[in-house]
Amino acid sequence: MTKKQEKINPQTLKFLTAVSSAEYSKPTLKLGSLIASVFDASLGVVYVGERASEFHGSSVNMTRQNLDNWNIIHPGLEVLEWALKELKALNPDDESLAKIKFNADHVYEEDGRVRVFLPGEDACRIELILREGELVNQLRKEIQLENYDLAIIGGSQDKRHLAHSLIQYLPSSIFVLQKFNPRKKYKLLLLVDDSKATKKSVQWGALIAEKLGWPVRTLTVSKTKRFGAGYQGAADMAKAYFEDKGIEVEQFFLTGDPVRTFVEFAGDNHFVIMGASTLNPVKQFLFGSKPIKTLERSNVPILIVR
Amino acid sequence: MNSYIDVLFWMRQKKWLLIALFYGMAMHHIVTPPPDLNQAAFDALVIISMALILIITEPLPLPAIAMFMLFMQVVLGIDTANNVASSFMNDAVFFIMGSLMLAVAIVSQGLDKRLALAIIRVTGHKTWRIIAGFTAISALLSSFIGEHTVAAMMMPVGLTLVRYAHKDPRKVAGLTAALLFSIAYGATIGSIGTPSGGGRNVIMMNYWAEFGAGSVSYLEWMKYVYPMVLVQIPITVLILLWTFKPEQSNLDSAVRKLVIEVARAGKVKGREWLAIILFVLVFLGWVFLSESFGLGIIALLGVFLYLAFGLVEWSELNRKTNWGVILLFGSAISIGIQMNETGAAQWIAQVIIHNLGQVIDNPAVLQGSVSVLLTGIMSNILSSSATVAVVGPIVLDLGGDQILIGFMTAIASAFGYFTAVAAPACTIIYSSGLVKSKDFLRAGWKMGVLSVVSLLGLSLLWWPLL
Repeated sequence: MTKKQEKINPQTLKFLTAVSSAEYSKPTLKLGSLIASVFDASLGVVYVGERASEFHGSSVNMTRQNLDNWNIIHPGLEVLEWALKELKALNPDDESLAKIKFNADHVYEEDGRVRVFLPGEDACRIELILREGELVNQLRKEIQLENYDLAIIGGSQDKRHLAHSLIQYLPSSIFVLQKFNPRKKYKLLLLVDDSKATKKSVQWGALIAEKLGWPVRTLTVSKTKRFGAGYQGAADMAKAYFEDKGIEVEQFFLTGDPVRTFVEFAGDNHFVIMGASTLNPVKQFLFGSKPIKTLERSNVPILIVR
Repeated sequence: MNSYIDVLFWMRQKKWLLIALFYGMAMHHIVTPPPDLNQAAFDALVIISMALILIITEPLPLPAIAMFMLFMQVVLGIDTANNVASSFMNDAVFFIMGSLMLAVAIVSQGLDKRLALAIIRVTGHKTWRIIAGFTAISALLSSFIGEHTVAAMMMPVGLTLVRYAHKDPRKVAGLTAALLFSIAYGATIGSIGTPSGGGRNVIMMNYWAEFGAGSVSYLEWMKYVYPMVLVQIPITVLILLWTFKPEQSNLDSAVRKLVIEVARAGKVKGREWLAIILFVLVFLGWVFLSESFGLGIIALLGVFLYLAFGLVEWSELNRKTNWGVILLFGSAISIGIQMNETGAAQWIAQVIIHNLGQVIDNPAVLQGSVSVLLTGIMSNILSSSATVAVVGPIVLDLGGDQILIGFMTAIASAFGYFTAVAAPACTIIYSSGLVKSKDFLRAGWKMGVLSVVSLLGLSLLWWPLL
């Protein structure tokens, strides 16, 4: 059984967090670090920069090598250096992390990306990666290469387009930090239905609630007033799972359009967890799916479990 | 399920390839060529328009697009395999190959520190003088050694000054932009000054020869075009100071730190002198021997000398030379020649003249406006050299003096001030992450207007005197 099937084994989890700048990525990195530490997962930090047009790519590379001689480092490496510094500040008790020194000269290219060599990185399980190109394509390649379980991504201005592409094409669970406020007290809202991914979302939800101590609510939405056996069974399973872990759960059963109901219920003070769609990918591409539409329309952090 | 996602993802990544192929198949199989355009000419236009879609959107690596342009000429029966092969390689391609390698050889010598010291000695510590010095040096050097070489050497100097001026470059955004754009725009305006300033100039010289328009020597080119470089240098400085308004009027402390840093390099070494002497020899060869030997052959001779004297390793040249660009220009020139031979270029030129002739009466004004506007707009989307390779055959068929129209096109191809993609120097400063796309627009429109006015002045006031 691989780790992607059924039970989650926190010891082998690998999370990836995408950062863009010190100015905008602080909340993303903070939550990435927090989630990775509560799950005891290894954390990859990736910066995806713009790729120069192929016409002038070699001129840009030649300039960068010349800049190295002047000790001027690539702007993406500066962001990764900031990320490491920030991770150390967020985890002051982590001795193995404290020992790591960033050295912009210690980078090597492999598999179409640049990896920063961090002495002792195995002990603290941090990786710093620089990639260039289109965001979704580069994240997909990184996740496939390293078999990440979860990608943590900040909210984007280009939400509609990006939400669709991220959910459709990234082969891991996805956590999109829309309007995430690290100081805010969130309630965990688990969207429960009869899909296959519900079971795994419940496991993720239980782990997060257990570690962070957030209150948990489950929400089951039916288009009609009648809740089928599948929906009722999934809600019961979720309740039993949480109670088994000693976590209290509030259950809600609402009727209406699922996406609109999710979004209205979530408001701005929930942290939503939902399963990835089991619809055929072609149908998802053409008509969208509940996770895609929920991500597009809501304004809260959402974890979509695959 | 995963294979469906893989296919959808491939389609997402390659959508422009699919659009280009669909467009090409529809044009070839469904659309009937206009009565005054033969099938081969029509097919040449289809290939070039498909290639343009692929070059702008980059769903494929450049060498793949180059190969596409070559095999499609044979597959669609435009010409035989041997003729396509012989049109692929010529002196312009030799020049592009040689100049890319020379850039690697020169940049690897570490002459940038000497250059930094020389500039600072001349300009002093005042910000406006440093920006003027950066613009002038970038322009004058790029005329001879190409803008990508100059930008690669000047960037560390500019960024070091920015770093010493303030530890957070965003706090001195105006100064940062003014310094970086003085490198990019300086190198761009200088690149028109001589044939060796950019591959596009040599591509135009190649088209003049192919179209039977005659030849222009290295010095004649300078006589026609260099006054524009000299006029544009002070204009560019004023535009940059006006647009970006540097936060500091004096860079005393930054300059002092820069001088200390570059002074560590010590005296000029014998190896560096040799690198300079070899380039001077190449330059003299371009000036005095290019009419007999060709600019490309002399560039290759220069590369040979750098290799022979051990100033650069072949492995370094091989690794850092953009072979994809060389293949692409070879194939773009090849299809450009087919556009001329099949009559496709003449047909487009006639369509333009027929339609715009009703708006603009004067043929000379029409020819000049079309060549400048078409080239200027396309160079901001495509790249300056690729624009000349594609537009060159069309504008030379517009009528009038082919040499003057060719000069206008080569000059206008340097008007790619609005985007980071047009010129290598603009891409290089953009890659620093310290200037934004909107900065190109802020300064670019002013540069564009004044460059068009300068070109107008050159063609009306200077060229009639020659």
